[in-house]
Amino acid sequence: MLTKFFLFSTIIFSSFTISESLYKFDNAEDEKRFYSLIKEIRCPKCTSGSLASSNAPVSEDIKSKIIELIKEGKSDQEIKQFLSDRFGNQVLYNPGFSKDTYFLWFAPGLFLILILLIFFFRKRT
Amino acid sequence: MTVLIRFIIIVITLMFFSFFYFYINDDKYYPGADFTTSDMPDFEIKDLYSERLFNIKDLEGNYLINVWASWCITCRVEHSFLAKLDSKDIPIVGLNYKDEAEDAINWITRFGDPYRYIIHDYKGELALDLGVTGAPETFLLSDGKIIVHYRGEVNDMIWDDVFMPIIKKESLFDAN
Amino acid sequence: MLIEIAHFLSILATGLFFLCFIFSFFLNSKDIYIINLVSRIYTHSFLIFLSSFFIYIWLAITDNFSVLYIAQHSNINLPVFYKVSSIWSAHEGSMFLWIIFLTLWGAIYNIATSNKQLLKARTLGVISLTSVGFLLFLLLTSNPFETILPLAPENGADINPVLQDPLLAIHPPMLYMGYVGFVIAFGQAIAFLFEGNPEIKWEKQVRSWSVASWSFLTLGIALGSWWAYYELGWGGYWFWDPVENVALMPWLAATAFIHSLSASSKSFILRIWTLLLSILVFSLSLFGAFIVRSGIIDSVHSFANDPERGLYLLSFIGLLVMTSLLLFSYRFNNLQSNKKIVSLSKESFISINNIFFGTLIFSTMLGVLYPLIYEFIYDQKISVGAPFYNAIFVPITLIACIFLYFSIDSKWQQSFNFKSLYQPLFLSITASLIIVALAFYKFLIVNFWTLASLLIGSIIIIRYLIVIYFYFVYRKFANFFSIIAHCGLGLLIISIALNDNLSSERALNIKINETEVYKDYQINFKNLRVVPGPNFDSVKADFVITNPNGKVFTLTPEKRKYFARGQVTTETAIHASALKDIYITIGDQLDDGSWIVNIQFNVFIRWIWFSAIMMVLAGLLLTHSLSRSRS
Repeated sequence: MLTKFFLFSTIIFSSFTISESLYKFDNAEDEKRFYSLIKEIRCPKCTSGSLASSNAPVSEDIKSKIIELIKEGKSDQEIKQFLSDRFGNQVLYNPGFSKDTYFLWFAPGLFLILILLIFFFRKRT
Repeated sequence: MTVLIRFIIIVITLMFFSFFYFYINDDKYYPGADFTTSDMPDFEIKDLYSERLFNIKDLEGNYLINVWASWCITCRVEHSFLAKLDSKDIPIVGLNYKDEAEDAINWITRFGDPYRYIIHDYKGELALDLGVTGAPETFLLSDGKIIVHYRGEVNDMIWDDVFMPIIKKESLFDAN
Repeated sequence: MLIEIAHFLSILATGLFFLCFIFSFFLNSKDIYIINLVSRIYTHSFLIFLSSFFIYIWLAITDNFSVLYIAQHSNINLPVFYKVSSIWSAHEGSMFLWIIFLTLWGAIYNIATSNKQLLKARTLGVISLTSVGFLLFLLLTSNPFETILPLAPENGADINPVLQDPLLAIHPPMLYMGYVGFVIAFGQAIAFLFEGNPEIKWEKQVRSWSVASWSFLTLGIALGSWWAYYELGWGGYWFWDPVENVALMPWLAATAFIHSLSASSKSFILRIWTLLLSILVFSLSLFGAFIVRSGIIDSVHSFANDPERGLYLLSFIGLLVMTSLLLFSYRFNNLQSNKKIVSLSKESFISINNIFFGTLIFSTMLGVLYPLIYEFIYDQKISVGAPFYNAIFVPITLIACIFLYFSIDSKWQQSFNFKSLYQPLFLSITASLIIVALAFYKFLIVNFWTLASLLIGSIIIIRYLIVIYFYFVYRKFANFFSIIAHCGLGLLIISIALNDNLSSERALNIKINETEVYKDYQINFKNLRVVPGPNFDSVKADFVITNPNGKVFTLTPEKRKYFARGQVTTETAIHASALKDIYITIGDQLDDGSWIVNIQFNVFIRWIWFSAIMMVLAGLLLTHSLSRSRS
């Protein structure tokens, strides 16, 4: 009866699973890191959305890989580098701080300062 | 001062809207095509038919890697084009992605084998290292380096627009 | 046959709206006879257009699959409610709804505004022109009236099962009501600029309309967020998705606008800001519509579309916005008020507020456009997501809130009464520091931003509580609309911060009849059953959960497979309480028969939407109060 049921549900869902997709962590810190990381990594297959929001097969694979890398002692930065090497820069929701993105990070602050200056300057005239 | 403000307002708005105009009209090449060059990652995975292990040294020169699976419906459509490439003597290595060996072998027996050999990437490890997100995907390698990564079905149009320009430029597959 | 009538009526309405525009701008718009005429033409146009829409609804309800759009998005098996909501589930139909609401606001404005009001005709004219632009877009590029004759299918395709949800059915209408409601402020602003007479107090006229629209917009966004939370299965409520950002920008502009409006409607101050903002809000709404429907941005939200539609919308919106800004740039000189903004007056705080909001809008736009520009120049893809937006929004919002705190004591056109400042300041700082200390020691929160958010959120709420106290005890004036809305804001900041810091989740691996423990909660996988539904089959998993106090409850997440498209969706099960949500979804089944079950504790998440409701409530109450004082 139970086997028939499992067969039935597998037929309904035919989701391909690999037995290693278990989210087992050595400690709470690792677990926290994982859940925080998957929010910052974009699902490479989906039109938009993070790994956390996707259950596409490739997302699951990447998540398993991240867990593996965390267990190997890799840092967040190393994990992100690993993934962007393979899937491209666009897989990181944090575009990083490089000469390509200086404008992105500085512009808001500069804009604010500029407008504030204009505002205070105009009041005087 | 007023004139300056007027000028700024007009110019910025104009720039804003014309950017979008150019962006929409931009001939966006196939979004699935990626032309960044990268090294073929190292791997050791067994062949589909035998226990023989493949590694990176087995693959040399210029060839295609085609990611496929028996559960991938689009791959069936792509198959006939791959057969055509094979008949033109273009070497294609198959990467069987997350597939049961039995299902894969049945599929090949049924539809034909356009591949020089097939790597059985059951766990998708090599695929992950290659940045594969699903099937079908096709890589073009020149001298062991990946120069084209295409996500999606390859057909006459894609082949001519995406792959052929690079093939001609690098003079790979001299028959073509 | 009916569809052709509906089609014809829409075309007729387009013509009449255009006539309305011509009359209002090319005839003497201040002549009472012309105003009457324009008003009547508008009413007729609207009623004709509305009839077209009602026929369309009828066709959807009666399963008329000769209409292509209805065949593509509805199905005989759908409950009636969803047959109606399927109308706005995709591009053509939702555009139809958008224009209906646009003209609806105009119609209500038409009825509620006396014909003696000088700007009325041209305001209706602007609304009509905008409607014509969108109607042409609808009829020429996105025609919902297309038919599949002679071979109409017997049944339609099922709509995306993810869209079959009551909340999701009302989210677009609420959102659209918010977006297009600002056409009234926009129309009045244009009419005002066109007229060129600085004596006209247009700001006062639009206040109730704008606050009402703002309330709808806030509600629409909150509903979208809540829906995403319980439907999408991963427990997030805001993703900084490009389409969400493009809805957020009009909201930011609208919030700045209604504040600026409150200053400008009292005296001739901040008029230029207010004018500019009224144009900006509507422009951003239109820009949002463009982005979502042109297909240039990758988003789960965007309607799949083609460049032709994008170009049309771009041209129309570009023309509209550029014309308005041009008009503004030629006329704003005359509006320079002789009145100066007094330092540390309420007006000065509102100006600073405008600047902060302007920066947020700029930053959001930057984040949305950056990947596009980058790809355009470098031919490489880049993503800008939560890390960027959080880094910008959190500090700026908190700083703006500090200014908000001090603005509570500010007065119109006067500086502070400094003496009355100190006591409440001391009280509120002390009280909020106590709260922060509590968070630090009891909940072990060490994150700087969480603590800062907690401090600033509490300080605002406490300060308002003091205001309320003074109102009841000393009969001191209190603006309850402001109190409710800003306390909502304070609560929002606190809830978001605590939710971010204290929530947790885990993926359990569990077999039937097994029990796992997570954070002192016992989770027993009691049962798995297959249940047929109206247009899907579902597998339901019953989990019996025992909390640390011994209280027991059952959660039943499910997986559904829909017949028509074979799509599989996960339904979450949530146990909601004031302090936290317990949130469960079932993942995949493994080879050994066990299931992966995702459990999340989402702390204080209900407070986030509750604070949004507070803001909506404040807005609706204010609208009511304003419209009463008008008549």
